[in-house]
This record gives sequence, C-alpha cells and structure tokens, in this order.
Amino acid sequence: MSEAQRDVVRYSVIVPVGRRVDYLATLIAEYAEALGSIGAGFELIVVLDGPKRELLEALKSVAGSMPELRVIELARAFGESAALTAGFDAARGGILVTLPAYYQVDPAELPKLLAAAEGEDDLLIAVRWPRASTFLDRLRRGGFHALFKLVSGIEYRDLGCGVRLLKREVAAEIPLYGDQHRFLPALATKRGFRVREVELAQSPKDMFRGRYRLREYLHGVLDVLTIFFLVRFTKKPLRFFGTIGALAAGFGGVFVIVMVIQRAFFGVGLADRPALLLASLLVVLGVQTFALGLVGELIIFTHASDMKEYAVRSIIQGRNSKALQQESKEAAAGGQ
Amino acid sequence: MKSLDLSVVVPLYNEEESVELLHRRISEALQDTALAYEILFVDDGSRDRTLERAAGIADRDPRLRVVEFRANYGQTPAMAAGIDLAAGRVIATMDGDLQNDPRDIPVMLAEMDDDTHMVVGWRKDRQDKLLTRKVPSWIANRLIGKVTGVPIRDNGCSLKLYRASVIKRVPLYSEMHRFIPAMASITGAHVKEVAVRHHARQFGASKYGLSRTYKVLLDLLAIKTIIGFTQRPLLWFGLLAVPFMIGSLVALVAAVIPVFTMVDGELILPFAGTGVLFGALAIFLIMGGALGELIYATGNVDLTEYSRLLAVEPTRAERGKDV
Repeated sequence: MSEAQRDVVRYSVIVPVGRRVDYLATLIAEYAEALGSIGAGFELIVVLDGPKRELLEALKSVAGSMPELRVIELARAFGESAALTAGFDAARGGILVTLPAYYQVDPAELPKLLAAAEGEDDLLIAVRWPRASTFLDRLRRGGFHALFKLVSGIEYRDLGCGVRLLKREVAAEIPLYGDQHRFLPALATKRGFRVREVELAQSPKDMFRGRYRLREYLHGVLDVLTIFFLVRFTKKPLRFFGTIGALAAGFGGVFVIVMVIQRAFFGVGLADRPALLLASLLVVLGVQTFALGLVGELIIFTHASDMKEYAVRSIIQGRNSKALQQESKEAAAGGQ
Repeated sequence: MKSLDLSVVVPLYNEEESVELLHRRISEALQDTALAYEILFVDDGSRDRTLERAAGIADRDPRLRVVEFRANYGQTPAMAAGIDLAAGRVIATMDGDLQNDPRDIPVMLAEMDDDTHMVVGWRKDRQDKLLTRKVPSWIANRLIGKVTGVPIRDNGCSLKLYRASVIKRVPLYSEMHRFIPAMASITGAHVKEVAVRHHARQFGASKYGLSRTYKVLLDLLAIKTIIGFTQRPLLWFGLLAVPFMIGSLVALVAAVIPVFTMVDGELILPFAGTGVLFGALAIFLIMGGALGELIYATGNVDLTEYSRLLAVEPTRAERGKDV
C-alpha cells in the first residue's frame, strides 16, 4: 500500500473497550493485519470506556509501529453505546466498522465483511457461523432472539455479536444510549436503512468465561421492552398506554358493576369481599395509565418539530436528477 | 428558491397504475389557470414501480419533483415531507388514488381569501361503500367535530388547501393528517369548506378499513388533550379529576355517616376504600396536569408566534397574486 492510499481513510474501525477484554494489544495487531491486507486506507480507534492504565500503556507500546491507531479514553465508564458514539464522532472514514475488544469473529474473516459492504446495504451485522456452543448457550440465545422477534417482528440470529459495518449516515441518524447498540439493526430498519446479516467464522478463542447472572437476564428483557416501545410507539404513546389503561379500567369497571348489582338485587354482601377493592384499584390503575399516555402525547407534540418522522433518500427532478440526488442525500444527512 | 403560487403535494404508496393519469389530470386542471405551480409526488416507500414511473414523468415535466422515502413511513409523514419541501405560497394536498379531482383545486383556491387560512374539501357525493366506509365516516366526523370544536363535515377528505405560512408551522406526526384542521385551529386559523367531486376507486385496493377505529378514537383523545392544554393549561387534567373527586367525597361521606348515626355499618369499609382510592386518583391526575404544564413550558412550541403570523398575513397586495 502506498503512502497516498494510506492517507485517504475509507474505513474507520472502532473498538470499544469495556469490562471484557482479551489480550488487547495482540488482538488489535491481528485486526490491523487483516484490515491492512485489503489495501484500502483505514484507521483504528480504540475507545477506552473509563480509565484503564494498564491497557493504555499496552496500546502506547504498539502505537509506535501502528500509525493507524488512535486511542480515546473516556473520563469514566459510560457504557458501550456511549463509547461507540465517541468513536463515531472521532471517525474520519465514510464507512464505520465496530469490532469487539475480545475474540468473537476470526480476524482473518474481516475482509469478507468489508467486501460485503460494496452492495446497497447501509448496515451489515455479523453472525458468528459456524459456531460452537453448548446446549445451554443455544437455549439462552434462542430464547432471547425469539422474544426479540415476538416484540419487534424482525428475526435476527446474533444480536450479541459486536462486529458491525455501517455507513456514516446510520450513525449520524440513530442516537445510541444505554444498551441500544445491541439493537442497532432494529432501530436502523425502522428508520428505513437496509440491514443485512453476514456470516463470519467464529474465532476459536471466542468464549465467555463468566456466568450470566439473574441481573443480566433482567436487563436483557427490559432492553427488549424498551426497543419494543421505541420502535412501535414513539410517536403515539397514547396508543400504548391508552390500550393498556382502557383494558384495565374497562375490566375493573365491569367487575364493580357486577358486584353492585349482586349486592342490590341478589343480596350478596359487599363488605366482606376484597374483590371490590381489587376492582376499584384496577379502575384507578387504568385511568392513571391512560393519563400517563396523555402526558406522553404532550411530550411528543411539544417536540414534534425536532423529530423528523421521515428520511428522504433522494429528490428526483428533471433531467439532471443524478446531481440533485447527491445533493439531497447530503442535505438529508446533514439535517438529521 | 423562487416563489410559487401553488404546490400540489400527493403522497403515493403503491399507485403504479394511477400515477401517470394522476399527473395528467393535475396538469390539465392547472395549465389554463396561469398559476405558477409545482407538483410534489412523495413516494412513501412503494414496493411496486410507482417511483420508477413517477421519475419517468419528472424527466418530461420540470414542474414535477419526486421525493423518494427511504422506507414506508405512512401517510402523515409523506404529507409532512411534501409540505416541508413545498415552495408554493399555497399548498394543496390530495390522495394519489384518483378519487379526488384536481379540477377542484382552482375552485378551492378562489375561496382562499384574506381571512381564510385553509380550504377543506367535502366529498358531497361520496363514491364508497355505504356500510363500511360512509356510515363510520359520518359518525367519526360528527365526533371529531364535537370533540375538537372544528365542525367539518368531512375530515377524511385529503383534498385540502393551506396557506404555507400556517401549515408549515403545524406539527404533523403519527397519523395526524385526519386532524390537521383541528390542529391548525389551535393557531386561530380560519377554515372554509367547499364541496368537491369524488370518484370511485379505479385501480388498486383501498388501504383503509374499519380496523383503525380504535386508533382514531385514541388519536382524537390525544388531540383533545393537546388542544385543551394549549388553551387552558392544567385545567384539562383538573377537569378529568373532577368526577373522581366528587365520587371520592360522596363515598367518604357515606362511609362516615353510619359512624355517627350508629346505623348498621355494613358498607363502611367498601365506601371508605373506594373513596380513598378515587381521591388518590384525582390527586394523581392533577399532578399529571402539573407535569404536563412543565413539559409544555420547556417544549419548543410557541403558539404566540403563530398568532402573530396570522395577524400580519396575508396582506392585500399578496392576495392579488394569490388568486
């Protein structure tokens, strides 16, 4: 590769470093070697999520022989989504690649991912395949993806894989916070980006040595519910809260009426029936939920002008449509 | 961008058969009027050849712009995109299924006088199925009129004309296109209704059915909240709380009376329980109203800006150019 080619950064590779790290310096060197083999300019951005002195020293020692490497250190641990966003902000390339700081995909497979990016797709997500796993792993993974499919309507095979390739527009348009990086494909699909899964061979060193704790399961489920709400009801909170509220209040109301009729005409006592309180509670809960939905609608109304609900791919006009198309794309990307 | 008299915005979703005819009809209707106009076709992520055909027409007609969406976002976002991009001083919206007749546009434009900010179509002789379309629509329109206070006979008719300065400031999102007149009325806009022609569907299937009734009902409540809030902050939630507060008081009094009269107190517990619960609910609702007030104050909707705009526009001089 000539010096001139090196200067033009085409791929920005971002490696967020959180709690789980495997021999970072070695891994980075392996990534760099695989990326160097394709002959296009790239940069490697390592984002340390919080101060990690030992890793920083290790990276400094390899940085001398690796001009593509840049290291960003966050002041404290903000989480992987924030680390990725910091990396995206610093990136200079038009195509962004995210890679995990531990072995998931065989680094030798990376050229395959970059080659797949030549198509029309805006976001590529890696699927570790073929993959070695225990029965329990498969069960856990299958359950999570089935739940995700149930609520989002989209089927993915490996949302836990940190290897992704995305065009700059995708990162610019989708704000990531919390644990949302895992659900980037669903959020991108909702915004109309083209998403595709790419099969890459699993690294033989890919194994999670820790145990999954109950808290992690709970987080996973809550995250899925958040995404469900964000994907389906962002602009219509009352549809979500209102349906739940109306069901609860309706059920409770019918229950109350039945009991009052029983008391009035059939002589069934009310005083010794806790069911009356239960039914009234349901009514109260329903109305409260409904009211929350109304407050949600107010939030959306007051912020509607900030959140564009559509994304324009191109504007076609007259014979010179090509030029306009490009222009509008830039405008759309800049306007988001 | 140079100023135009009229922008015609048409959202298209899988309308490959009708797009050519639609363009021809709009052009025929507007060619003889000496208006400087443009047509905006917004392709809402169609899966058929709508975009291709529309682009083909754009090659021939410099007055046509075709906006390609990245995905299917829905009718309201498509209209919002067209309205955002339109350059005309008056913006007309209509459906892409040929059921509206573009020949009504000049007629409606003539009705757009100094005090009018919006002219909406009324499909007087509607060419749709009676039981599944017309009857529910009649009920819905009465309800929408009652709730929003903008009594329009036909909210579902997409053929509407707006002053650009007004409509560009009305937040359009979700499925609000049915309620644009109501939304715009918050700003104090004046609405006129004009009877328009309506044709039976020629191509394709209708994309709407009865299934969305409950969604319309919920949207209507949302609109009511928004309108209520912009007019009398806090009062709207307070109003919701009143019935529960009364219920709570009645129940509590009923629970306390037997204590003094020493009558058989079988119902003390249920009355006291429900009374306390409803009282809590009323307080919760008022708190919700206070929260809404906070949201409204920090949001970036400035209705005084709308009113100022309406107060100075349109001028006499402009009116001469409009029509």
